[in-house]
Amino acid sequence: MPTERQSAANDPARHVVAVAAEHDDLRAAVSASISAVPTLLPSDLPRLVVIKPNLCDITSWETGVTTDPQWVGVLADQLRSIRPDVQIRIVESDAISAYKTYRSCDETFERLGFVDAAERANVGLMNLSRSDTIELSLPGVPLPVRVPQIFLEELFFISIANLKVHPYTIMTGILKNSLGLLADADIASFHPHLSSLISALHRLCPSDLCIIDGRIGLEGQGPILGVPVRMNTILFGNDALATDEVACRLMGIQAERVPHLQRVATDMDRAFGQFRLSGEIHPRPFAIQSPDAQRAIALKFGARRFYQRTELLTNRWIDRAMRFRRHPISFAKSAVAKLTGQLNAR
Amino acid sequence: MRDRLRIGIVGAGPVMERYHIPAINAVPEVVRSIVVDADAERSKNAALRFQIPRWSNRLDELAEGADLALVLVPNGHHAEVSCELLRRGVHVLCEKPLARNPAECLSMIESARRSRALLCTGHNRRFRQHIQLARKLLLDGLIGEIVRVEAEEGSTADWPRSRAYFDPEQSGGGALMDVGIHSIDLIRWLAGEFETVEYKGNGTASCAESEAEMRFSLSNGATGKLVASRDRELRQTLTIIGTQGTLEIGLWAPTLGMVSKRGKAFQNFKRLDIAVPRRPPQDTSFVEQLRNFVSAIHGEGDLVVTGEDGMAAVDAVYRAYRGTPATSLRPAEIPAERS
Repeated sequence: MPTERQSAANDPARHVVAVAAEHDDLRAAVSASISAVPTLLPSDLPRLVVIKPNLCDITSWETGVTTDPQWVGVLADQLRSIRPDVQIRIVESDAISAYKTYRSCDETFERLGFVDAAERANVGLMNLSRSDTIELSLPGVPLPVRVPQIFLEELFFISIANLKVHPYTIMTGILKNSLGLLADADIASFHPHLSSLISALHRLCPSDLCIIDGRIGLEGQGPILGVPVRMNTILFGNDALATDEVACRLMGIQAERVPHLQRVATDMDRAFGQFRLSGEIHPRPFAIQSPDAQRAIALKFGARRFYQRTELLTNRWIDRAMRFRRHPISFAKSAVAKLTGQLNAR
Repeated sequence: MRDRLRIGIVGAGPVMERYHIPAINAVPEVVRSIVVDADAERSKNAALRFQIPRWSNRLDELAEGADLALVLVPNGHHAEVSCELLRRGVHVLCEKPLARNPAECLSMIESARRSRALLCTGHNRRFRQHIQLARKLLLDGLIGEIVRVEAEEGSTADWPRSRAYFDPEQSGGGALMDVGIHSIDLIRWLAGEFETVEYKGNGTASCAESEAEMRFSLSNGATGKLVASRDRELRQTLTIIGTQGTLEIGLWAPTLGMVSKRGKAFQNFKRLDIAVPRRPPQDTSFVEQLRNFVSAIHGEGDLVVTGEDGMAAVDAVYRAYRGTPATSLRPAEIPAERS
């Protein structure tokens, strides 16, 4: 297998640590990452720590689809060694999958062993869909975004993702894991704006510690129905884009081709490769279901986006016409002013 | 379903039509009983138009036929009407300002206490969702300790108003009492009690002020300024500045802008705004206000705005008026088209 070591070190503040890990090596892997980059977990840890695993389906972690519940205890011990009074919450939200099946977060916690793990580690579980939320208007996202109010508090955010391919976004990782922070179960309406939404969520709730558990990756028909691949690598990073870039390398994917990574880099005014990588990675090209699927999906989203825009435009003018229906001259005047204003603005 | 409470309305003017009838429609726990207005013709027209079974120009008829009453008469009659109804055991929701001065407010509170009826003040803005969210964020400490409060509300009047409205004797005050009192109540609710107040306005002996500026300090040490106007379009915002950030609350539009030095979400965003739909939703604050009043009558919760709250707001305005007014502003005049 080819080996890649030490990438461009343009920004020494952004670190990614690759740690070789076998089946039950989580504790050792965390220790190794902290030894390599002690600042991954700060000494002035906030009192509240939020951990977001990837629980996109009710499927055991050995399939490479979901997060291993063992992480709960391992991270809780590590965090308490820094700050004994730390409050830890594992968060996830209800979801309606791409296959239009409803997944209850509470059931997912229960069946994937997170309830037991949380009890043992004395940490809290939080269904974000049932928490207090706030509907925000975020730059670049044309629809209101309902996010949990907990992110208005001071906290340390840990995101644990899996090493997976994805038919729409090519790969999933830390950045895409943030979609699970949305309190609304059905995020289908956001699909045409997925990249801008992921970028906005990343800026809204940036991960302080990013973990991509690549002990078992998922290729083929990810992110749920794919084929598990043993990769025996865990990535730890303090920057989501950098960690996802390294995950791309591991899977043999060009980060520049991943739409949401590209969008985040643009929005954050960053170039790819600006981080320091410690440790060794052993890339293995992951099979992605079909390039045709991506084209079809892009076309579908394009059509949907066009439909949404035209619908909005039509509705606006119908509204306006109805409001001014008894005053056609006022309608004409306001229409001219409006259109002229829009043209001038452009 | 338990028995519906019989609701009576005193004052069949535009406030009833525009705000309170839609609220009554949306609260099925009450049933329309009677409308009373000094002008019998007006009460009859209102009754026919809004399917109210009885109408009258006598208050005692309402006291006999209603469990609760909405008092929507000019300010000068709030105390007299409310005390009469409270004395007879009718629960009263009185429009803001509760009365013209603290003494009148106190008489209303005393009447309510004696008869064990409820007195609620119509500071409906406390029921608006974005303001309730702002309160929660303040209590959560999003902006730290409050150090400064600034409010601006003003517009030209948009409906016909009687001469009494401009008469300081009958109305109890002008822009500050009528427009500014909403902000005064919100400042009390969100930031703290008023400690010192200084006022300047353009009121005269015959015309209540159309421009008012109140500078104040709060019990928590914060300072602030409130500008209210009947002549100018102002920003219609309440800005609360804390040691850790700022909240900018829309007084009319359901907007809420947040700036904070703490909070994960502010790591990359300097300011966050709650989403405002393209078509703003119907203001449900009057509905929620009436629901809260009905729940409190049934003993299922506390009043959000009590008579004491109404009195505290009036007291702040009264103290402002009693201070030394500066007269550098152009004196207020009664606009001919409004009378």
